Amino acid sequence: MKYLSEYRDPAIALALIERIRRIATRQWTMMEVCGGQTHTIVRHGLDELLEGAVEMIHGPGCPVCVTPLEQIDKALALAARRDVIFTSFGDMLRVPGSDCDLQQVRARGGAVRVVYSPLDALELARRNPEKEVVFFAVGFETTAPANAMAVWRARELGVRNFSVLVSHVTVPPAITAILTAPDNRVQGFLAAGHVCTVMGWTEYEPIAERYRVPIVVTGFEPMDILEGMLMVVEQLEAGRHVVENQYVRSVRREGTVPARERVEEVFELVDRKWRGIGEIPMSGLRLRDEFAAFDAERKFGLGGIVVNEPAECRAGDVLTGRLKPPRCAAFGTRCTPEHPLGALMVSTEGACAAYYNLARHRIGESQGVTT
Amino acid sequence: MTAIATSGLTCAVPIATADRVQLGHGSGGKMSASLIGELFVRELHNTALAEMGDGAVVTAGAEALVVSTDSFVVSPIEFPGGDIGSLAVHGTLNDVAMMGARPLCLTAGFVLEEGLPMATLERIVASMARAAREAGVRVVAGDTKVVERGKADGLYVNTTGIGTVDPRCRPGPRGARVGDIVIVSGPIGRHGMAIMAAREGLGFESTITSDSACLVPLVERLKASGTRVHVLRDPTRGGVASALNEIAAASRVAIALDEDTLPVPDNVRAACEMLGLDPLYVANEGIMLAIVPEAHAALALETLRSDALGADARIIGRVTSTPAATVVLRTGLGGTRIVDLLPGDQLPRIC
Amino acid sequence: MCLGIPGRVVERRDDGGFPTGLVDFGGVRREACLAYVAGEVGIGDYVIVHVGFAISKVDEAEARRTFEVLREMSRLDELEWIADAIEPAPPDVRPAAGATRGGHP
Repeated sequence: MKYLSEYRDPAIALALIERIRRIATRQWTMMEVCGGQTHTIVRHGLDELLEGAVEMIHGPGCPVCVTPLEQIDKALALAARRDVIFTSFGDMLRVPGSDCDLQQVRARGGAVRVVYSPLDALELARRNPEKEVVFFAVGFETTAPANAMAVWRARELGVRNFSVLVSHVTVPPAITAILTAPDNRVQGFLAAGHVCTVMGWTEYEPIAERYRVPIVVTGFEPMDILEGMLMVVEQLEAGRHVVENQYVRSVRREGTVPARERVEEVFELVDRKWRGIGEIPMSGLRLRDEFAAFDAERKFGLGGIVVNEPAECRAGDVLTGRLKPPRCAAFGTRCTPEHPLGALMVSTEGACAAYYNLARHRIGESQGVTT
Repeated sequence: MTAIATSGLTCAVPIATADRVQLGHGSGGKMSASLIGELFVRELHNTALAEMGDGAVVTAGAEALVVSTDSFVVSPIEFPGGDIGSLAVHGTLNDVAMMGARPLCLTAGFVLEEGLPMATLERIVASMARAAREAGVRVVAGDTKVVERGKADGLYVNTTGIGTVDPRCRPGPRGARVGDIVIVSGPIGRHGMAIMAAREGLGFESTITSDSACLVPLVERLKASGTRVHVLRDPTRGGVASALNEIAAASRVAIALDEDTLPVPDNVRAACEMLGLDPLYVANEGIMLAIVPEAHAALALETLRSDALGADARIIGRVTSTPAATVVLRTGLGGTRIVDLLPGDQLPRIC
Repeated sequence: MCLGIPGRVVERRDDGGFPTGLVDFGGVRREACLAYVAGEVGIGDYVIVHVGFAISKVDEAEARRTFEVLREMSRLDELEWIADAIEPAPPDVRPAAGATRGGHP
């Protein structure tokens, strides 16, 4: 596939690994903030291949994982209603809420459908006027333009039975929160390539300068990740700390302006709770009042949900890089993909699931993990 | 700026065992295995069932017969490259063949939905008849039921196959040995992605066609060549990954795959990329995995490739000893990763 | 969020002012909304598509340029390894690590 397969060229990847190893005079610690990048790293064993030169701490880059429990519970409540067709991206179906998950709601008779695009959900609403169609609008800034357009289009077309349950989060405040934590060890960042495709990288410049960390906007293929890591290491070795762009085929400094404009038109910034981490100010999106008719929370009067979260799961520590999943006491024993304690073991992008499914053989023996 | 709070770390309540059947229970992954093991095998227990092969061996006097059954619930019932009728014939004949047995006959039970167009049913039955004829096998018994509109997705079929055990060739899931070579007879991922493409809601057009085919002639060739075959398995639901995991567990070995050797057609790869799916877990209906001793690998390959159905046969891995009951993949970059059984179905993702 | 893959625009459609198109991903085709790249994208151009929306136009020239740089680098490295194998160079005469890479501001 063009502009995809070439970036998996093993010869180039190995050359990049070799070069990183050669120029690193010590081990550097960096973080990637995107689940898709985590997936590539663990899937291709990139962290294994760079042991000693680069330590990767996997950041909170999985919007599925950080969706607050309250939002999941609201989704479950909506999906259980007889008059609702609840639509969602596939990732969300097995995330545990306080009581069950969307797949179980479906088993009990709820109309739950996986869609590929929010526009498909809108189309479903148009074809089923007697039902309410709700779309679970989860994601980072990458997905916000799609969700914004679905809402905008619904208004244009006068569709009355469509609404979205919003759980959007934004990346820069999370990076800042990580950098200001007293025990922070992260020295450089790989910024999320598709988030920055939409938003550009201007928001990261003040962060790089203030906290003196290199930030490299990076793609998702093995070659992209390795090149991004190389650029971070080069900066660290040279004592520089600026924003650079590795993902040049897709990202420009100003991003995709029409997309940013539509997001700005439909959404506003609010404080947002990140599951497992806590509240980060101005890190979430909410539909503006003009679009309230399409906000499922306001439309269905969902509020005052009491959540039930006992705390054996250490998602927060994993999300902020304090804990590698295999070191969690519940990893592989009380917490597995079939019986997950938290979202990170369910979502395919969650760090815990990534380690369990792909890499536990590397740590299995020493941890006594049952496979 | 708020630093991240370390107190108040939250997490969800664990989900206990399901109180209802879910779609994942039929996916061929861990939930399926657990349902079969914890309910069916426990309740119905007998040694033949507990073998968990593609079929069972029963003796009638001096005769040893293989029996296998499969239900087909695919939707849509007609798809690029096949339909539920021919699929039902191929699927069960293949299960019999994977036991090394020669198929004798089939039965076919239909559950029809009220309102199913007669023309559609005629097409499906004609297709089934054609598939059986081409395989040289007769459908000797059958049954038809009709259920109310809204049930049965148009049509469900169950086929049961009976075959005669071939004393020359008794492969089984416990047969893999350290040092053996793993061969796949053709490209992977076609059937599952053809079905996905044909399903409404994901809305993509593609040239992908199901690989639904009868593997009996291919297996007969393999037997006739004198190749010693330790394991034969057609990787249907759950894909190559699930089939190899089951074999690794039953044989108590490890299986090491080489990513570079996996034969994935370009259009399947493209569709998988779009939906974030891994071809290793996608269903196949016209290929088989053959695990043979190293000394027989070249003969096996040559034999498979001499048939049109096995033209793209290739070696994709080998059997090793550790980590036990695990499938490990060596990536193009030389790293490694585990290819585990999924809990349920693979879900399209956006992350 | 991440799953954005590159595809080639093969058709442009206009749904009452709403720009969509048919995008080809290595043989698989799907409709995508082109509203965010409408001004800059034509038939034959490549776009990155995420959940049914084109979020950027692939800059093919940049892609080609940086790809060549990386390929060159991997060839050079090969030569260096060979040279090292014959006679390892002392640390201070190693070539500079920073190859030029496109796309920097």
